[in-house]
Amino acid sequence: MKMLTSKWVFTLLLMLGMAMPYLAGAQRTISGKIMAAENGQAISGASILIKGTKTGTMSTPEGLFSINAKEGDVIVISGVGIKTLDYKITGTGLQVITVDANTKDLNEVVVTGLGIKKETKRLGYAVQEIKGSDLVKAREPNPINSLVGKVAGLQVNVNQELLGAPAVSLRGSNISLYVVDGMPINSDTWNLSPDDIESYTILKGLAATAIYGSRAQNGAIIITTKRGSKNKKGYSVEFNSSTQVNKGFIALPRTQDLYGGGDYSEYAFGDGKGGGINDGDYDVWGPKFNGQLVPQYDSPIDPITGKRTGTPFVARGKDNLKRFLQAGLLTTNNLSFSSTTDRSSIRMSMSQSYQKGIVPNTKLNTANFNVSASYDLTKNLKLEGSLNYNHQFTPNFPDVNYGPNSIIYNITIWTGADWDVQSPDIKGVWQPGRVGTQSIFAEYQRYHNPWFMSNYWLRGHYKNDVYGTLGMTYKINKDFEAVVRTNVSTFDVLRSEKMPYSAHPYGREGGRGDYREDRRGLFDNNVEGILKFKKSLPGGINIDAIAGGNLRNFSYNSTYVTTDYLNVPGLYSFGNSLNPVKAYSYTANMLVLSNYYSASIDFNKYFSLTGSARIDKHSAQPSNNNSYFYPSVSGATVISDYVKMPSFVSFLKLRGSFALAKSPSTTPYIGVPPGTPLPYGSNYVSTYGGPTYALASPAYSIGSVYNNLTGAYAPSSALDSNTQVSKTSSREAGLDIKFLKNRLGFSATAFSNILGPSIRNYPISQTTGISGYTTNAIKTQVTGLELSLQGTPIQQKDLSWNVLVNWSTFKEVYKDLPSNFESYQFKQGDRVDKLYGTLIARTPDGKMINDANGYPIMLPKAQYLGNADVKFSWSIYNRVTYKSLSVGFQFDGMVGGYIQDYVKRKGVEGGRDISTVQGKIGEAREYEFLNFKTPGYAGYYVGDGVQISNGVGAKFDPVTGVITNMNDLQFKQNASKVNWIQDYVSYVFNKPEYTSIAKTYGKLREVVITYSLPQKMLDKSFISKIDISLVGRNLLYFFPKEFKDLDVDQYSGRTIYSGNNRENGLQTPTTRSYGLNINLTF
Amino acid sequence: MKNLKSITTAIILVCALMFSSCSKEFDEYSLNSNQPISVSPDLILRGVLNSLPVFPNSDEERWSQYTCRNYTYYGDNRYWTGAANLSYGTLNNIVAMETEAKKRTGSDLNVYSALSKYLRAYLFINMTLKVGDLPMTEALKKLANQKPKYDNQKQIFIQSFQLLEEANSQLASLISKSDVSLQGDIFYVERSSGAKSPLEALKSWQKVVNTFRLRSLIQLSNKSADGELKVKQQFNDIVSNPSKYPIMTSNSDNLEFVYNAVNNKYPDNKESFGFDALRFNLSATWVNNLASLNDIRVMKVAEPARGLGFSDTSFKSFVGAPSGIDLSTMAAGVQAGKFSLYNRKRYYDGFTAENTALLSYAEMCLNIAEGINRGWTSGSAEDWYTKGVKASFSFYGINDGDNTITFQRQGASILADYVNYTYKFNFNNYFSQPSVKYAGDGVNGLNQILIQKYVAMGRNSGLEGYYQWRRTGVPAFSQGTGSSASGKIPFRFQYPSSELSTNGENVKAAIQSQFGGADDIFAKLWLNN
Repeated sequence: MKMLTSKWVFTLLLMLGMAMPYLAGAQRTISGKIMAAENGQAISGASILIKGTKTGTMSTPEGLFSINAKEGDVIVISGVGIKTLDYKITGTGLQVITVDANTKDLNEVVVTGLGIKKETKRLGYAVQEIKGSDLVKAREPNPINSLVGKVAGLQVNVNQELLGAPAVSLRGSNISLYVVDGMPINSDTWNLSPDDIESYTILKGLAATAIYGSRAQNGAIIITTKRGSKNKKGYSVEFNSSTQVNKGFIALPRTQDLYGGGDYSEYAFGDGKGGGINDGDYDVWGPKFNGQLVPQYDSPIDPITGKRTGTPFVARGKDNLKRFLQAGLLTTNNLSFSSTTDRSSIRMSMSQSYQKGIVPNTKLNTANFNVSASYDLTKNLKLEGSLNYNHQFTPNFPDVNYGPNSIIYNITIWTGADWDVQSPDIKGVWQPGRVGTQSIFAEYQRYHNPWFMSNYWLRGHYKNDVYGTLGMTYKINKDFEAVVRTNVSTFDVLRSEKMPYSAHPYGREGGRGDYREDRRGLFDNNVEGILKFKKSLPGGINIDAIAGGNLRNFSYNSTYVTTDYLNVPGLYSFGNSLNPVKAYSYTANMLVLSNYYSASIDFNKYFSLTGSARIDKHSAQPSNNNSYFYPSVSGATVISDYVKMPSFVSFLKLRGSFALAKSPSTTPYIGVPPGTPLPYGSNYVSTYGGPTYALASPAYSIGSVYNNLTGAYAPSSALDSNTQVSKTSSREAGLDIKFLKNRLGFSATAFSNILGPSIRNYPISQTTGISGYTTNAIKTQVTGLELSLQGTPIQQKDLSWNVLVNWSTFKEVYKDLPSNFESYQFKQGDRVDKLYGTLIARTPDGKMINDANGYPIMLPKAQYLGNADVKFSWSIYNRVTYKSLSVGFQFDGMVGGYIQDYVKRKGVEGGRDISTVQGKIGEAREYEFLNFKTPGYAGYYVGDGVQISNGVGAKFDPVTGVITNMNDLQFKQNASKVNWIQDYVSYVFNKPEYTSIAKTYGKLREVVITYSLPQKMLDKSFISKIDISLVGRNLLYFFPKEFKDLDVDQYSGRTIYSGNNRENGLQTPTTRSYGLNINLTF
Repeated sequence: MKNLKSITTAIILVCALMFSSCSKEFDEYSLNSNQPISVSPDLILRGVLNSLPVFPNSDEERWSQYTCRNYTYYGDNRYWTGAANLSYGTLNNIVAMETEAKKRTGSDLNVYSALSKYLRAYLFINMTLKVGDLPMTEALKKLANQKPKYDNQKQIFIQSFQLLEEANSQLASLISKSDVSLQGDIFYVERSSGAKSPLEALKSWQKVVNTFRLRSLIQLSNKSADGELKVKQQFNDIVSNPSKYPIMTSNSDNLEFVYNAVNNKYPDNKESFGFDALRFNLSATWVNNLASLNDIRVMKVAEPARGLGFSDTSFKSFVGAPSGIDLSTMAAGVQAGKFSLYNRKRYYDGFTAENTALLSYAEMCLNIAEGINRGWTSGSAEDWYTKGVKASFSFYGINDGDNTITFQRQGASILADYVNYTYKFNFNNYFSQPSVKYAGDGVNGLNQILIQKYVAMGRNSGLEGYYQWRRTGVPAFSQGTGSSASGKIPFRFQYPSSELSTNGENVKAAIQSQFGGADDIFAKLWLNN
């Protein structure tokens, strides 16, 4: 490997070396730099022409140019977005030229693949750009969360959990590639520092991202960081400070506080582990809080019998959850310094962020340090480098996964109001005399004291994340430029868990504590050489081409080590393991060699055409199939440039693209090493991008089988040795139209992507001994539409109003589903996101069919419920500016998309959900509580629906489970009383029909009110700019009241759910946030 | 333009270098270093054996009506409505074990190949008992035959008996050579207590092979006249020739899973008590049959139902819940103390409750008694019957004389608050009861054998309790809305639904020839007709 790398670097150097003599021999020239008068930023791509001649050049991305001219010559500077300027050359030094912006000309420039800036009007595909400065005021803990609603078709599942990363998807597929300043990095989105980001560009279509290869197959987020800039003083210092409070729930489960823990109206505490009456692992179907005497966890012990005597059973713990959670806090401070001279620029930035969670004793700190610099060694040779160091650390973040490890599980679902979260004994955590070994709570089998969990059961996260790049740009001559650069993206992360004595989550009922470490390290290095060519030919033909090569070297290593109970309580070390330590590991290496080519040609004002090609050789593929090629082509024509339009149409462009991408057997995310047992909690998923080994020789799995002895299991799958890389083809067409002198713009993009044939496990009959073989199969088609409307309804001297509306939709269907993959649930042509679940048998007119005991009959096979994907998503962003005051606010949401509410379902089952004391159920509950010990008691509740009256049994289709003999059945009104409402409710009302809902919602996402101090007030101070903003996020949430424990945000994008997997996890209640942001520039 | 030419050359050079020079590195990188592609056969055997037991507290023991759930959240007592779990994955491991063993020993005759013959027969018979016809001849060929044809049930038995014959003779030959190479045997060599030497283990395995063959012949009691199967002849050959066909001679030969307190805990244990305390109870089919025989075993497995108001050691205190009643009614009965719960001391006091037999000496004795009763071989059915019942007593540690019986103290507020009774149990008195005294070869005697066999297989031997009911109707099973929506108990499982999409033509043909076209769980299998 070492050999290979050095060979490659040598070749690159050779390539440069050959070019060198031509550069040295170039004539002496006048150099200059073009900057915007407004903000001192470099203007790239400006045309520079010596007046009256045909001698000309263009400015570099850094705004630099050089031209053969002499003192006194006048040069004409023109370009998109700037006012044409005649400039007279004075002296022979660097000409620093400032130009004014041309606001009438809306030809924006965006960053495209490989960091190349292009005029939007020349692009054949959809691109949307967001300024970083728009996102740093009303902050989210995670910068990517801020992108929600800002781009048509970009779905951001905002995850409000502490350390929760958003799932970001475009057109139904998850984006996993983040590109910073032209180089791909490995990002969990937490390692991006929003204060250092100049702009985000969302590359949506395959044609836009093809040059990045398979990593960008689902789109990419291209990030341009801020560079050194200067003002009159030669440097600038910027300070941004933001403080927000999280308070006021927008989503909170609604619970009943009338009945306590227990089952079938009975409860008595014995040992909290089954020794009493329904005192272990109970539901909230216990007795009513009537003040009656019931032995409880804190009832006094009779010294003679040794048993607890009864104490009044009252709702002392109403609103336990609300009284447990606290206000959260998010503070962020950023200080940056930047400076530019004629040969160099530098920017340094430090950020620190502290987040206090709403769950007590949870927090997250992030420190970020960023430096970028460039230096012109000669006027043709430029060095550029940047480095970002990010450290995330928290000694404790909450585990929200369903189970005894979750606060919600313990407080909201499975325990009642019979204990008080703020009472001193519960807050004191430990039983008297058993500090450190036995916590105190109302129950000891399954549930946990939340203070015990928050203060002693600690989950740490410590991540170092570094990425950086070093590059050299060499201007060979006026047409050619060569770039050599290398980048590194690497992280190491430690996740630890300290589980104290007497914690007893799933699978650890021994309650003797544990210590775990999940360590992962990733190293990803790219070495790249690019040759750029740019030339204007007579006849208005412009050529812009690149050719490049890349070597990617990737390695990943992880270990997961856990004790098997502890000897000494509270000593969290592997040496303290009671039984032998269990350890698991995983290692992967990968090598990718790539060549890529791209050329754009502008045919005068009529047409722009871009083609690209990439060839990869990838080690994740078997050696007979490890090279693959993928092309893309896109074109755009601005009709309004050459066809006379009606006067109200100021701009009309049509565009289209086609691309064919390939992807090897890699996966963007990875969890714990294979074989690691995780009895509870979440499998921490980190970013990866390495091989899956799905195409390696089928191998045995190894694991502990009996008494710590190892067993092996033969592979259950075979391999088709001719398996190719996955294919994806994409077609996209769109138009951009602007009206009324560009006051109103509309953009539409339609796309159709064919995904596949991908690498799949082709199912074969299990009677062959294996379940399938890995090969290429299945094509799906994603079609969709993205619309974006931009307008300026008001634009006056002091008052302006800007509006941005985004709307998008997509769906995915099976286009080619071989019959071996089919089932009664999925056939070719079906949507891939169909959801199935248990349904109650119903008569043709919709009445529930009950059995002889008055219980609904469930159809024996899962039935179609709805589709998981939303019908469409929308957002509206407004900004009104009046003099120095501006107000921005955003509404967004979506329509459709089926989801089952997990908190609700479990709340109903457990008897804690508010609906279990309302209406007919509430009546039955009360009746049962009062009468269950009465002789002859036979229940109260009679369920809705009918019973079969003619003695004919319902017959079900053996495949689909529907009733086949409906015509033979006769019905009568159901008349059977239910013995226990608990059994009925947890059998019937937790089913999807009662606990699921469309994800249709709306949110007032953000409000930002900014006051910029007028410039004249600052003129004499050392401060050049002061912005003060009042911000709010997540302020209003429009969703049906009975499902408002569910903040759909986490599930708003493409869900991973289909088939019988239709449920989200638990979630912590979500809050509004309010705060203040101050931005100072010196 | 000269420079352009050079640059182009350079690029071409780079590309050429990149794509030609490093295929060796690429090959190394494409290997998965995290998993082995070859392992020694004992590792595979360990995995295979560990996948064989049907562990207690399972649906299988509820379908055999030994235990019940009474609490909807964790499930119910309903029989299946769908497909069987088949064992082709385990069989695939067995194929791999044969391959790896041959690779390492260079011989077709080795301990792993001998055991694999037994294991194949064991799994194929267990599978066909669930669903009916299944691929056997054409199965397990991986990609070489992706759509295996189905063998009928009779053919599966014939082939399995052939495999058992070969397993017996291979084991005999290995034992005669004093082969001590067996490793990975968690049932005999590596078990947590009562471990045997590899050679002794081979001898036990040989007994297992023939004992299992006796059970499988009993399964075919409705087909004993079949000329090809030769059920009676095979049965007689084994019972009458113990030197060629050694069979189990005591409980220490049992094929059973032994639990330990760290890694392999009995599914009911003191850590699970709080979940189960009132949520599982015993079934009437087991408890009431034992209690009606005044059988002390009921006091070993059950708690008295104190809500009934009898003394703790009265057999009237031992009442199970009918498995077919609806869950709510059962829960009400349990809350009121009207149904017997699991014996606290036996099942919840520690982590290793009792060993779980896959195949036991007690069952074998009663199978032989059944064979003699049916006239398949000569001998005293009563002797074997008595031996079988005593073997079961011995399993529960029951003595002829004083026995200590332990229950949870009434009104206890912790698990380990027990009350002990000394209960005098006299074997002669027990066996002289009219309900127990062997009634002679005939229907009544057969029913006694079947009842004793059923109770001896309580919480062990997989689905054998259910299979016996299906085959003989003994003991009577409780049916009702608690069993299924229609109140009926199914006779078989459906084929896996994946067979319809992956091997549709063959599975449809099998369904057609057996059941007239519907994959019906209430249809009878060939061997039950």
